[in-house]
Amino acid sequence: MSRPALRLARFSARGLARDLRAADVRALFVALALAVAASTMIGFFLDRLDRGLTRQASQLLGGDLVLEQARPFDDALRAELEEAGLVLSDQIDMVSMVSFDDAFQPASLKVVDDRYPLYGAAEVDLGEGVETLARGPAPGEVWLAPRLALLLEAQVGDRVRIGESELKVGGLVEREPDQSAGFGSFNPRLMMHIDDIGDTALVQDGSRVEFELLGAGPPDLLEALTPLLERLRRDGVEVRDVRRDRPGLGNALERAERYLSLAGLAAVLLAGVAVAMSTRRYVDRHLDTAALLRCFGATQGELSRLFALQLLWLALAASLLGAALGLAGQAGLLALLTAFLPLELPPPGALPLWLGVFTALAVLVGFAGPTLLRLKKVSALKVLRRELDPLPASAWLVVAVASAVFGGLLWLYSGDLGLAVALLLGGLVMLVVLWGLGRLLLAGVLRLAARLPRGEGEAGLSQALRLGGAQLARRRTASLGQLLAFAVTFFAMAMIAMVRGDLLTTWQAQLPEETPNHFAINIQPHEREAFEAALGDAADARSALYPMVRGRITAINGETPRDAVPPESRGDNALRRELNLTWRETLPEGNRLVAGRWFDATAEGGGDWFDEVAAEPGVATVPISLEDGLAERFGLGLGDTLTFTIGADEVVGEVQSLRDLDWDSFRPNFYVIFPPGVLERFGHSFITAFHLDEERRELTRELVRDFPGVTLLNVDAILAQVRELLTQVTRAVELVLAFVLLAGVSVLYAALTASRPVRAHESGLLRVFGAGNRLLSRVQGAEFAILGLASGLMGALLAELATAGLYLAWLDLAPRPHPWLWLALPLGGALAIGAIGHLLSRDLRRQAPAASLGLLGET
Amino acid sequence: MKATSQRNTTPILHAEHLCKEVASGERRLTILNDLALSVFPGETVAILGQSGAGKSTLLGLLAGLDLPTSGELSMFGHLLAELDEDGRARLRAGRVGFVFQNFQLLPTLTALENVMLPLELSPRAGAEARAREWLERVGLGERLDHLPKQLSGGEQQRVALARAFVTGAELVFADEPTGNLDPDTGERIIEALFALNREAGTTLVLVTHDHALARRCDRSLRLDHGRLTEMMTLDEVSA
Repeated sequence: MSRPALRLARFSARGLARDLRAADVRALFVALALAVAASTMIGFFLDRLDRGLTRQASQLLGGDLVLEQARPFDDALRAELEEAGLVLSDQIDMVSMVSFDDAFQPASLKVVDDRYPLYGAAEVDLGEGVETLARGPAPGEVWLAPRLALLLEAQVGDRVRIGESELKVGGLVEREPDQSAGFGSFNPRLMMHIDDIGDTALVQDGSRVEFELLGAGPPDLLEALTPLLERLRRDGVEVRDVRRDRPGLGNALERAERYLSLAGLAAVLLAGVAVAMSTRRYVDRHLDTAALLRCFGATQGELSRLFALQLLWLALAASLLGAALGLAGQAGLLALLTAFLPLELPPPGALPLWLGVFTALAVLVGFAGPTLLRLKKVSALKVLRRELDPLPASAWLVVAVASAVFGGLLWLYSGDLGLAVALLLGGLVMLVVLWGLGRLLLAGVLRLAARLPRGEGEAGLSQALRLGGAQLARRRTASLGQLLAFAVTFFAMAMIAMVRGDLLTTWQAQLPEETPNHFAINIQPHEREAFEAALGDAADARSALYPMVRGRITAINGETPRDAVPPESRGDNALRRELNLTWRETLPEGNRLVAGRWFDATAEGGGDWFDEVAAEPGVATVPISLEDGLAERFGLGLGDTLTFTIGADEVVGEVQSLRDLDWDSFRPNFYVIFPPGVLERFGHSFITAFHLDEERRELTRELVRDFPGVTLLNVDAILAQVRELLTQVTRAVELVLAFVLLAGVSVLYAALTASRPVRAHESGLLRVFGAGNRLLSRVQGAEFAILGLASGLMGALLAELATAGLYLAWLDLAPRPHPWLWLALPLGGALAIGAIGHLLSRDLRRQAPAASLGLLGET
Repeated sequence: MKATSQRNTTPILHAEHLCKEVASGERRLTILNDLALSVFPGETVAILGQSGAGKSTLLGLLAGLDLPTSGELSMFGHLLAELDEDGRARLRAGRVGFVFQNFQLLPTLTALENVMLPLELSPRAGAEARAREWLERVGLGERLDHLPKQLSGGEQQRVALARAFVTGAELVFADEPTGNLDPDTGERIIEALFALNREAGTTLVLVTHDHALARRCDRSLRLDHGRLTEMMTLDEVSA
C-alpha cells in the first residue's frame, strides 16, 4: 500500500472509531451485521446440507455410479469401467416368494457380492444385538428384514426356502447403507450372496430381474466417463450418477429451504432499508466535515475514498460479527434439524462467509451509494454559508440503484433470474403505487389534522393529534420516505410471518391426524366388498380402493419409447418397468388438474371410445390422464398417445389431461389413470390406504387372518418420521423469522434515529413557544402512531399481494387472503412505532430548547 | 510590517474586474462589481462592510471556495479560473488557513483531533506533536482531549486559531472571528490571532464589521455596493 493510501486508511479508521459514538453509525453497523448474519446463517446451513447430501448421495445410491438393466452386464463394459479406475460391485434385484414352514411371503431380493457395500455399512442383528457391518451376507446365508422374519415367523438360525434353495437366516438387517428413505418397495427385504443365486434357479430367461453394476470412483473419473454414460443411456441402460441423481429432500424440506432463502433475502432487504435510512443521517452529519476538508484542500476523490473507506471498515467489522452470529445461528438450525437429518454434515465451508461479506458490501453500495455521493459534491463554500447543502440524491436514483443491487442479490440467492426480475419489477411497481398512496395519505392526514377541534386543555388528545399530524404532513418528503421504509419493513416482516403460518398450515393439512398409516395391496376383486366391510369406518372417501392393472409402455406416438423420449429419459424407470395403471370416474383426492379436462362420458362424444374399445380392443384410442412430472420427463403434452401392453393386449391412450399430485401424501398415486370401462377386462387387484388409530390396531390381525392374500403395510414409523421432520423444520423456520423481526426492528431504529434532529428541532420550537412535557410527549406519540398506522396499512396491502404472487410462483402453495393482517399490521404498526419512537425521543423531551435547536445539522 | 513596504513584490492574492452575480428569483443580483484587490505576502488586510454587503462572498472567492461570475483572480500566482474544484483544493492544501465566525470545529473530534485535521491532508512528520504545540501556544495545553461542546466559545475559537496556523499556512482567512464572542473574549482572540500571525509571518485577510479590529490591520478596505475602497490608516492621515 502506498504511503498516501496508508495514510488515508489510517485517517478513515480513526474517523470511524470516533464516529462509533453516533447513533446512525451504530444503526448502520447493526443493520449490516444482521444482513450478514441472516445470509451467512442460511448460507452456511444450506451449504452444509448440500455438501452433506452430495457426500451421502454415493452411500444412498450404493455407489458413485449405478448402472441398471434387465440382463447381465457384459465383460467388455466391466473391463472398460475398471480400466477407467472404478471399483465395481454386482448386484441383482428381484421379487420372489420366500417360505418358511407353511408361511409364504413375497420378498424383495437384493443379491450382493463380496465387494458390497461400496460405501457405508449395514446394521444387522446377527442374534446378539444390532451390529454395524461393512459387508453383505456370506454365501449360504440370508439376511431378512425384521418384518419379513415376523411375517414368516422365522428367526436367526432357521432355514428359509428361496426358489430351489434353502438358506440359513444369518441375521436381521435393520438398515441397509444404500436404502433410501421412503417406502419404494412394498415387499420386505431379503439379502443374499450372489454365489447362491444360481442354485435358486430364479434367474431364467424372461424373469423380471434387474442387474445392477455399482461403481465407486472420484468425481473427475465420472466426468471422464460422461460420453460412455450417455451412450449407455441411449442403449436403454438406466444410469444413476451421484452428480445428477442425488436423493431429493422431499417437498417439506425443499419448501423450507426456499422459505429460508426467502427469509434471508427479506432480512437483507430490511437491513438495506435500515442502511439507506441511517446513511441519510450519516451524510447529513458529515456535510460539515466534508466542507471543512474541502476547505483544507481535500479533493473530491480523497473525500470519496475517505468516506468509502470508513464505511468499508464498518462493513468489514459488521461482517465479522454477522458471520459469527451466522455461524452460531446455523449451528442452531442444525441442532433443530439433527433429529431428522440422516447424515453427518461436513463442517461449514468458506463460501457462505464470502457471500455474507459480499452481501454486506453490496447492501452498502446499493442502499447507501447514491446518498453517499452527496458528500463528494459538498461545496467548500458551505463553511461560510451553512445553507449550501448539496442537493439530496434523487429518490428515484436511490431506489433504482438499491433495486438493481437487491435484484442481483435475489438472483444470486434464488438462482432464478426470472423470479428475481419478476419480484423486482413487482416490487418497483408496488413502490410507485405506495408512493402515490403515501402522498394521498399524508395530504389526508394534513386535512384531517386541520379539522380537529382545538380542545380546551393544552395537552388534549385532539390537540396532540392535530399538531402531530400537521408536523408529519408538513415534512412531506421526509415523512414519505419514512412511510415507505416502514411499509416495506412491515411488509417483509408480515410476509415472512404469513408464509411461515401458511407453510405450517399446509404441512399440517398435508398430514392430518387421519393420514393413512396402512396400505393394503393385492386385494382381489372378489375380496373387495368383504375387505371394505371389514375396514368399516376406518376407510373413508379419501381412502378409496383403486383397481390396479400392470402394463408396460411399448410405444409413444407410435414410436418405440426410447426413440420418442428425450435422450436423458431413455433409461427412465417408467419405461423399463410395468406401471400400475388404474381407472377412475372422478379425480382422485390430492390430485390437481393442470391441463386438459377430466373424463366425462356424458359429454358429447365423450363416451364414443367405450363402444370403439369394445368393438375393436387395442385399436381404438382411449383418453388417459397423465401425471405432469412424467409428461415433462418424456416431453409429452395433451393429444400425445401412449401404447400400453397389458398381458397380450395393447391399449392406446391419448393424453386428455395432466395431473399434479403429491407423492408425499401417503395415498395410492398413479402415473396413468384410465376412464372406467377400458381396463376392467384385464386381471386386476385393488390397493388402498387407510388410517387405523392405536386402539383399533387389532383390526390388522383380523385383516391378515381373513384376507391372507392381501399384503398389509404399516407406515406409522415413516409417518412419525415425516411429522418429526415438519416439527423440526418449523422450529428452524421460526428461528429465521426471529432474525427477520430483528432486522425489522433495526429499520425502525435507524429511521427514527435519522429523523431525530428534525424532531428535536420541532420539539425545541414547541418548547420555546410554551409547550409542556405532556403535550410534547403526546404530539410525538400521535405523530409516530399515525406514521405506524399508515405504514401498517400500506405494508398489509403489499404483503397480501406479494405473498399471493410468491405462493403461485415459487412456493407452490394456494394463495389465500389474510383478513387479520389488515387489522393487525396498522394497529401493531401504530403501537410498535409509537412505543419505539416515544422511547427514543424521551431524552429529547428532557433537553433544553437551546440544545434541541442546536442539534439540527450537527451530531 | 506595513503595506507600503510590500507593494514591490508579487501579490499573494490578486483580483481584477471581479464580479459576482447571483440569481434572486428571476432577477440577477450583483454582489461584487468590477472589484480589484491585491494582497501581498505578510500583509494583514481587513475587509469592512455592512451586513449583507457581500464580505463573506468576497472571502469565499478570494479563498477559491467559489468562482466569480467574471474577472480574474489569482492565488499564489495561479489563476483560480484555470483550476477545477480539485485543483483549487490542492492549491489550498497546507498553504491556506481559515478562522470562522462559528468556529467550524467538528463536534465528534477532540481539540487535538480538530487541530490535526488539516495535517491529515498534508501529512508531515510529528503531526500530533505539532498540533499539541500549537494548542499549547493558544493556552489549551491542558484541554487537548476535550470535545468542542466541553469548551467555551473563546476556547473553541482558540482551537480554530491553532488549526488555522498548524500547517504553516502562508495565508489565513478569518471571517468575523469575534462575531460569536463577547467583547472581552473577542479581544483576547484578536490578540492571539495577531500574535500568531506575527510569529508565523502569515498573510491575513480578515472580514469584519468591527472598525476597531480593522484598525489593527495594515490595510482596511471597505466593501460598499460591490466595490472595494481603500480606507486610510491613521498613520497615512497624519503623514
